[in-house]
Amino acid sequence: MAPFLEAVVVRKNDEIAPDISCVLLEAPRVAQCLEPGQFVHLLLPTFDAHILRRPFSVFATDAAGGLIEIVYQRLGEGTRFLAELQRGASLDLIGPLGQGWRAGANTRNALLVAGGIGIAPLNMLAAQLLTSARVCLITGAQSAERIVSLRLPSSVASATTKTGESRLTVITTTDDGSTGIKGLVTDVTGELLAQQDFDYLATCGPEPMQRIVAAHALAAGVTCEVSLERRMACGIGACLSCAVLTRDGTRRACVDGPVFNAEEVLW
Amino acid sequence: MVSALTHTHKREAQLAVTLGALAMKNPLTVASGTFAAGREYAELWRETLKQGAIEQQEFSQEILDTKDKPLSLLGAVTTKGVSLKPWPGNPGVRVAETASGLLNSIGLQNPGVEAFCSGDLLWLASQEVPVIVNVSGHAANEYHAVIARLEQESTPSAYELNISCPNVDCGNMSFGTNPRDAERVTRVCREATVRPLIVKLTPNVTDITEIARACEAGGADALSLINTVAGMAIDVRGRKPVFDRVVAGLSGPAIKPIALYAVHRVSGAVSLPLIGMGGIATAEDVVEFLLAGATAVAVGTQNFRDPLAIPRLLKDLKVWCHTQGVTDIHELIGGLR
Ligand SMILES: Cc1cc2nc3c(=O)[nH]c(=O)nc-3n(C[C@H](O)[C@H](O)[C@H](O)COP(=O)(O)OP(=O)(O)OC[C@H]3O[C@@H](n4cnc5c(N)ncnc54)[C@H](O)[C@@H]3O)c2cc1C
Ligand SMILES: Cc1cc2nc3c(=O)[nH]c(=O)nc-3n(C[C@H](O)[C@H](O)[C@H](O)COP(=O)(O)O)c2cc1C
Ligand code: FES
Repeated sequence: MAPFLEAVVVRKNDEIAPDISCVLLEAPRVAQCLEPGQFVHLLLPTFDAHILRRPFSVFATDAAGGLIEIVYQRLGEGTRFLAELQRGASLDLIGPLGQGWRAGANTRNALLVAGGIGIAPLNMLAAQLLTSARVCLITGAQSAERIVSLRLPSSVASATTKTGESRLTVITTTDDGSTGIKGLVTDVTGELLAQQDFDYLATCGPEPMQRIVAAHALAAGVTCEVSLERRMACGIGACLSCAVLTRDGTRRACVDGPVFNAEEVLW
Repeated sequence: MVSALTHTHKREAQLAVTLGALAMKNPLTVASGTFAAGREYAELWRETLKQGAIEQQEFSQEILDTKDKPLSLLGAVTTKGVSLKPWPGNPGVRVAETASGLLNSIGLQNPGVEAFCSGDLLWLASQEVPVIVNVSGHAANEYHAVIARLEQESTPSAYELNISCPNVDCGNMSFGTNPRDAERVTRVCREATVRPLIVKLTPNVTDITEIARACEAGGADALSLINTVAGMAIDVRGRKPVFDRVVAGLSGPAIKPIALYAVHRVSGAVSLPLIGMGGIATAEDVVEFLLAGATAVAVGTQNFRDPLAIPRLLKDLKVWCHTQGVTDIHELIGGLR
């Protein structure tokens, strides 16, 4: 689907954790066609001195309700401004953008590894995979209050295997040990890969973390996809500002990615 | 909403302009490097109309009128810079936002003229729009070789020499900062083609009119200005420059006053037609550049903010002319009172 410009309206915009908010947008057309791992490029209203759009992954879509949900971390002026938008505010976005996850329909047992806000593009993937596969999610943050939980349609959240176990396992790590395992997601990944027979790994988070996770996956012989962030101007493949070095030469994160096969990336 | 123009179609202003032998049906082109070869934007325009995803806008008609060749609503397309061999572009961060501006350090990444001819140029051949090919090089003979290769193709309507590239023959200073080099590279390229030759000037010089006159003497048919303004950004936490090469090029509304003044001065110094650019975001910006002396204008950074900027500006320009009683765009060119 070629990307297009859509006028959208804020339905809801709430803080869900310290410095992390979730905005629900009425975006009836993009909501129909956006795939897991794709993103949208938001133009914030009355933010005129800031001439660039801001790229965000989509955390969840509701095609029937025409809604998309973005979970974002307040980092700089743009995201702080976004957090102030009230219900009814109108803005526009370009979407659906980029190459999403390529997890095949024959995936049986997937490992998802999220570092902090890196959970954002993985939520839709988890929902998609859980309709037919087992999913183990390792999600890490500084502390318990900053862990963003998965939000899944009830039908997939309760999915079980033939033996009656839940198809979904969630392992939490925190830097301060306030919940789950004290440590980093990368501390757990290698061990888990050794214990279980995964056939697919997807990761998103700070690039150094993704790199370590990818190295674990490659060592275990598991297909691994990463989702890379670059500063983006156009978002549609025209300006070459989002270069990612790969074995295949320089690629564009906005159209050839953000999801790349880890083996192809020259870190 | 009823268009202000639909029922007065016959009184639509005459917008066609010529730059030397290059005929444009309106004065709008795009700034090199911000639009690739236009394929991504053409698809986005088409899909946006198909989806009806923005409120029915008057400019929709501009796209519909092109009958599935959306780029043909432009006076010309200007391509990303093309060099003799592939250039990899710069490592590290490539863009950063500044107040009303954008710093870039793309580094003229391109696949080289051979791949360009069999890729983007071939596609452009079917788009029913004049094509200005932007040419980069490290030495005068490289520019010459790129043009010589492009001369074998029928699609290029004109060439635009980006003389802001580092000149290896001359201590990596750009050709565009030294009148002798600027004249020489223009002359060398002039010998390679009879097609319209546009030279694109950098603002990063003491006196831009001196370079402009040198390009005129070298045989240029037109000049375009301005390229980006040299600048930098600093990461305060890391206490280091944001860009690996330290320097980056500033574009966007922040540079519009600089660009306007450059166009105004150069238009008084040479008798060549000018393409004005730098921060154009509205139809009134276009009119300002025309009044300052530009015959055509290019839209760059605004495409990132508003991917429908081109059809929107074209419609707004028509409406502006209509409401101001302008019947021919030439009334505006160099029309400062
Ligand atoms: C494909 C993609 C998906 C993303 N998904 C999410 C998400 O789901 N949730 C989330 O919280 N964040 C996401 N981000 C990051 C988000 O785009 C940046 O945090 C945001 O643009 C920062 O804007 P700002 O004005 O608040 O910060 P600024 O003050 O402008 O900058 C803060 C930092 O954000 C980064 N940044 C700024 N502008 C851009 C830009 N145009 N493109 C990329 N990075 C930029 C810079 O590296 C900078 O260091 C994603 C980025 C990409 C490329
Ligand atoms: C991302 C980017 C890439 C550019 N690439 C080129 C290029 O390849 N060749 C060139 O002559 N100018 C290049 N430019 C300069 C523009 O064509 C233009 O001169 C400048 O950006 C001012 O116009 P604007 O403010 O409307 O963007 C580039 C500018 C940007 C922002
Ligand atoms: S952001 Fe322009 S090419 Fe990727």
